[in-house]
Amino acid sequence: MSNNNFPWTLNPKLDLVLERVVDVPVHMVWKAWTDPKHLVKWFTPRPWKTVECKIDLRPGGQFYTVMQSPEGETQPPGNGCYLEVIENQRLVWTGALGPGFRPNDTSEAPFLFTAAIVLEEVKGSDGKPATKYTAIAMHSEEAGCKTHSDMGFHEGWGAALDQLVELAKTW
Amino acid sequence: MLEHGGMDGVFKALADPTRRAVIAQLSCRRRAVSELAQPFDMALPSFVQHLKVLERCGLVRSEKVGRVRSYELVPKRLREAESWLCEQRQMWEQRLDQLDAYLEELKATEDQEGTL
Repeated sequence: MSNNNFPWTLNPKLDLVLERVVDVPVHMVWKAWTDPKHLVKWFTPRPWKTVECKIDLRPGGQFYTVMQSPEGETQPPGNGCYLEVIENQRLVWTGALGPGFRPNDTSEAPFLFTAAIVLEEVKGSDGKPATKYTAIAMHSEEAGCKTHSDMGFHEGWGAALDQLVELAKTW
Repeated sequence: MLEHGGMDGVFKALADPTRRAVIAQLSCRRRAVSELAQPFDMALPSFVQHLKVLERCGLVRSEKVGRVRSYELVPKRLREAESWLCEQRQMWEQRLDQLDAYLEELKATEDQEGTL
């Protein structure tokens, strides 16, 4: 995707793009992403939980989340910041920078990301306003180097290795 | 939450065409050093260095029987290498599934109360 909704270039080998249509108005999707009281209800894949969330909704503002494992163990917080906030249209944040755009200490989090949510109003199945939203997670090349889907990016991984990985899956 | 330790050696090892070719040769079965070296126009000690790099990072293991050392693949290491982005995708899929379910709930409440 590279258009007015998200005018940046994505790399299919490093980035994830997930598109959904949900039968609720745009402002509700926006709320769910930007109000801690809503976000904690769904943000972390179960059985993990989001136990704390702070949102300072402006560029450079804090996006802070704390997850808890199913065993009740609290994880080091995610302390990112927003890069772009366009109400009901686009929300961009990163884990690479903390509040006030201050670079994070990345030794604890070797894989940096920037994520974006792009919202668009569409017509729902019942004719009422629905929302098409796209979630984008961009990763650094370092992360890509560690993935199979990226193997073509290191010169000449070639078909032999793809076959090999296929084989490895069956073992 | 995600395991990603110690993969640098694997990717460095695989950055070399000779070593990739060795991996490909080993993908069907275990082979002796002389058999592995045969397709390459390379002095044996240099070739053995490549094998050592592969073994150090855990992609292959070797065994010496009598005077013959032979190598086999350790597929677990390759699986580790390929799994990261896949895990990220699963995490996002599940997160968005939960979001959609939550939004449906919210909508139902909003329809009842007329507010969010």
